[in-house]
Amino acid sequence: MTHRTIYTTLIAWLSCLVPVFASGEAGGEGLPVKAAPLFESFPNIPITNSMLMVWISVAIITLFCRSATRKMSLVPSGVQNFAEWVVESLYDFLSNILGAYMVKKTFWFFASIFLFILVNNLLGLFPGVGTIGTYNEHGHIVGYFRGGMADLNMTMSMALVFFALWTYWAITENGMGGFLSHIFAPKGVFHGFMKVFMVVIFIIVGFLEIISICVRPVALTFRLFGNIYGGEQTMEKLMDLVPEQIAFLPALPFMFMELLVAFVQALVFMLLTAVFLRLICEHAGEEGAHH
Amino acid sequence: MFTILASSAESGNAVSELFGQFGVNWKFFIAQSINFVLVMFVLWKFAFGPIQKMLEERRERIASGEDKLKLIEKQLAESEATTAAAIAKASEDAARMINEAKLGAAAFTEQKAQEAIAQAQQILAKAEIAAKADRDRLSTELKREFGRLVASTASQVTGKVLTADDQKRINEDALAKVEA
Repeated sequence: MTHRTIYTTLIAWLSCLVPVFASGEAGGEGLPVKAAPLFESFPNIPITNSMLMVWISVAIITLFCRSATRKMSLVPSGVQNFAEWVVESLYDFLSNILGAYMVKKTFWFFASIFLFILVNNLLGLFPGVGTIGTYNEHGHIVGYFRGGMADLNMTMSMALVFFALWTYWAITENGMGGFLSHIFAPKGVFHGFMKVFMVVIFIIVGFLEIISICVRPVALTFRLFGNIYGGEQTMEKLMDLVPEQIAFLPALPFMFMELLVAFVQALVFMLLTAVFLRLICEHAGEEGAHH
Repeated sequence: MFTILASSAESGNAVSELFGQFGVNWKFFIAQSINFVLVMFVLWKFAFGPIQKMLEERRERIASGEDKLKLIEKQLAESEATTAAAIAKASEDAARMINEAKLGAAAFTEQKAQEAIAQAQQILAKAEIAAKADRDRLSTELKREFGRLVASTASQVTGKVLTADDQKRINEDALAKVEA
């Protein structure tokens, strides 16, 4: 009985894909690469559909936090229990990467990154996101809502905030000298000509390291944007290729994959940023621990 | 990142073109940055702060509970040891008291038995004396009566009045024969 249901669903889904493969070109122009302005607010800042989505996510996160921490008790239950589980799990996970000292200082940032991206990615999968809106002059729909992470402004702002904080933490934990020596100083003990040679080599390596550090926010920005935008675009295209009545069917299997992508991308962003910090603050807190 | 992008392009036009293509706009960028900072503040103020405080408080309470448990276990062990010692001492005292009581009771019983024996002996001696006195008295009375009967019988048989010496001699003969 179960197998029959699965096979029937599979055949129905595959039959929906027939017109997709049969059509010569993808239907419609798909999801635009940039967020669309919906209206202008004070002071002349256009409010985009992705911004609206981000506000909704901010509101949801705020409501969740308030309901979880309004009446806190030592014996947790309900929302408080769930919130504590999330926070404690993230703390333990980050503690393994950053160490007990750094996680105390930076947990708020990495946990915020993870939760913010996850909530936005999941909200982007809700029905109506990208499909409820108005038609523009070209006859294409402009959604009132768009995934928060499918806007390069958002991913770039997160990446640059991280970059600023990374620089601050790197300098405060290592000192300016330690920070520069971490980048340029030779790793290992050398003598004589080898020492001079290695100093030159490591100065060159240091410049490459600086380029690598500067490229990190770019990579973070485009990785997250590309994955989320790509997912939404894929579903948009698939929905455009079949009659409207069954438009949901081709996109349905991808919804499950997008659920996974929503979580994985949040995790990847948090992990990468945490690892970048760990690399520069490897010995942070060790002195305190020795004392 | 902007610097990198700017340096990688021949002019600012390339960056502008790239940003324009992806809809990057300073106003949007600042607005989204504000949103992100707002989220971090909300989470820090209303979620991570109170929850971590609560988790820390709970950890401290558990640690304190563990310490108290260890103390209670230690006190319990000490109390058990004290109780065992007290029970042992009480048992020892009780055994000693029982032993003393047994010894006391035996001595008392012996004393009372001796007293009873002495009293019984006294009573027996008195009874013997009384019995001997009674026997002597009865014997004397019997002798006297027997003598009188013998004298009376002899007098009646012989038909003469017996003298005191006769009576005495007849009595003595009769008594000697009876006693033999």
